Amino acid sequence: MSAPLIRLVDIVKIYKTHASEITVLSGLNLTVDEGEFVAIMGPSGSGKTTILNLIAGIDTTTYGRIFVGSDEVTAMSESELATWRSQHIGFIFQFYNLIPSLTAYENIELPLLLTSLSKFDRKKHVLTALEIVGLTDRMSHYPRQLSGGQEQRVGIARAIVTDPTILLADEPTGNLDANSAEEILHLIESLNIKFKKTILMVTHDPNAASRSSRIIRLDKGLSKEDLIIDKIQFSST
Amino acid sequence: MKYIPFLFKNVFRKKTRSILTILSIVLPLILICLLSSFLSVFEQTDEAETRGMFRLVTRHKVGLTNLIPSSYLDKISDLDGVLSATKFLWFGGTYIDESAKNFFARFATEPQTLLQVFDDASMVEGSTKDWERDTSGCIVGEELIKKYGWRIGDQIVLKGNIYPVTLQLTIRGIYSVPSGRADALFFNLKYLEEALPTIKGKVGTIWIKAKDPESATRLSTQIDGLFENSPYPTKTESEKAFQMGFVSMLGDIKLLITSMGVIIVLVVILIAANTISISARERIREIALLRTLGYSRLMILFFILSESLIMSLIGGLIGIIIFVLTFNPLRSFLATTPLGDLANSLTYTADTIILAFIVTTLVGIFSGIVPAIGSSRRPIIVGIRYIG
Repeated sequence: MSAPLIRLVDIVKIYKTHASEITVLSGLNLTVDEGEFVAIMGPSGSGKTTILNLIAGIDTTTYGRIFVGSDEVTAMSESELATWRSQHIGFIFQFYNLIPSLTAYENIELPLLLTSLSKFDRKKHVLTALEIVGLTDRMSHYPRQLSGGQEQRVGIARAIVTDPTILLADEPTGNLDANSAEEILHLIESLNIKFKKTILMVTHDPNAASRSSRIIRLDKGLSKEDLIIDKIQFSST
Repeated sequence: MKYIPFLFKNVFRKKTRSILTILSIVLPLILICLLSSFLSVFEQTDEAETRGMFRLVTRHKVGLTNLIPSSYLDKISDLDGVLSATKFLWFGGTYIDESAKNFFARFATEPQTLLQVFDDASMVEGSTKDWERDTSGCIVGEELIKKYGWRIGDQIVLKGNIYPVTLQLTIRGIYSVPSGRADALFFNLKYLEEALPTIKGKVGTIWIKAKDPESATRLSTQIDGLFENSPYPTKTESEKAFQMGFVSMLGDIKLLITSMGVIIVLVVILIAANTISISARERIREIALLRTLGYSRLMILFFILSESLIMSLIGGLIGIIIFVLTFNPLRSFLATTPLGDLANSLTYTADTIILAFIVTTLVGIFSGIVPAIGSSRRPIIVGIRYIG
């Protein structure tokens, strides 16, 4: 049995405000194996998004350690985290977070500008990502010219274009209608099944959560329930 | 290089705002180039010295409004190292009217010695002999010919203001000088003395041509020493020092011009900084996204600062091009104003253009540095959650 890809060890996260302290995570322990598709559910304020932010290194723990592979995220400096993130993390946001002045192509290319790839190679990667999400015919469109579902697909393409180790999805369907949400969930699912991507997805939607191979429910900053979905229905074809 | 398209797209994401900001840099920059040109007038080298003219000016020690005896000229001419000397008396007066447009220098002098002292000048039409033969004759500079369309033989009427006399002069010659500033009128001092006997024997200045630099240096002290204890003590200085004395009458004009330039630059920085700050504030979430993708703090700093520099350099380039293209028409217009004398000396050099680029670069850096630092230091998590 191989070591987990992601390990969260005794994670505590406390937010300090002017008036008080809010403990979001209180000694969370969590592991995720390579190739798993994990859904994180829980009430508002239970720390779901905080977990994603901590794994990505865009927020810091109050106590505890986080490991992704052999890298200790919590021990890295800011500049080390920036480099590490560009190589290992693909983030999918609820509100897409596309840059409005860039086309779909240019938005997807953004992470690749940090690499040493030539313009030609960057183009190959972007076109591949566009093909995966089914938006090759929209590459020259600006975000304002795309539907919500299309914008999210661009967001997904941007997240996968560098072939990251982990995909972190924060309520990826939270801003979409039912049809578009279904398309996005199907796409995310296929990234796990076809491309063996390790995915952590925060969601309120039980239907979305059911697409995963494991559901973790959080309550008061701790993992209350860790439900393994029957993997037979997700066997690859 | 690969970030340049991204940077340009950010600069022009709000086209109207970017164009207005660029214009707010273009117009002041034209003004700064103009001010720099004015400053360079005061720093121009003494062409007379560099061409080996070695001219000195002797005047009353107290000031130009005090006259000195014309007999001083003979004593000065006898000194070793003096090649020639001539008398000058400022007439002033009015030609046509008292507007700045019709103002030019009008001096009474000696036709026999004028061009011996000002031997860099030459007659392009007529001759000093023609002038000497006609007591009421005069010579005028080429620039005046172009301006008024005069010809040899034309009559010029000067109505006196300092001296209560009206002079009717006939153009007997046209002169030019290498510097191109041939814009004065000279007539025979004898004519004025005949019309106004009270000023006989007095002059405003005596101009001296020294034979070499050593003589020029020695003669200043020697001449003043000759008349130190007389009722009319003198001050003798180089031609350039004499001319700069007029500039110093305007007060510390260089400081004034420099101060204006600095204030203009500061205002432009504040305007541009406001635009960059607004733009950075609108992009808080976007910048947080870039940090999430792996762009470092330093890169964010680089982006914001580069966008500021791009906007500034575009404004600067347009401003410089407009300045260069409109310089001559602008100078011609200023020549018709009270700044006419200065305007005629206006020129721009490579230094003016370099200064403009330096100013532009400084505007770009200083207007962008605070928003750039602020944007790069904001925690990612704060940016991601920002609702603008």
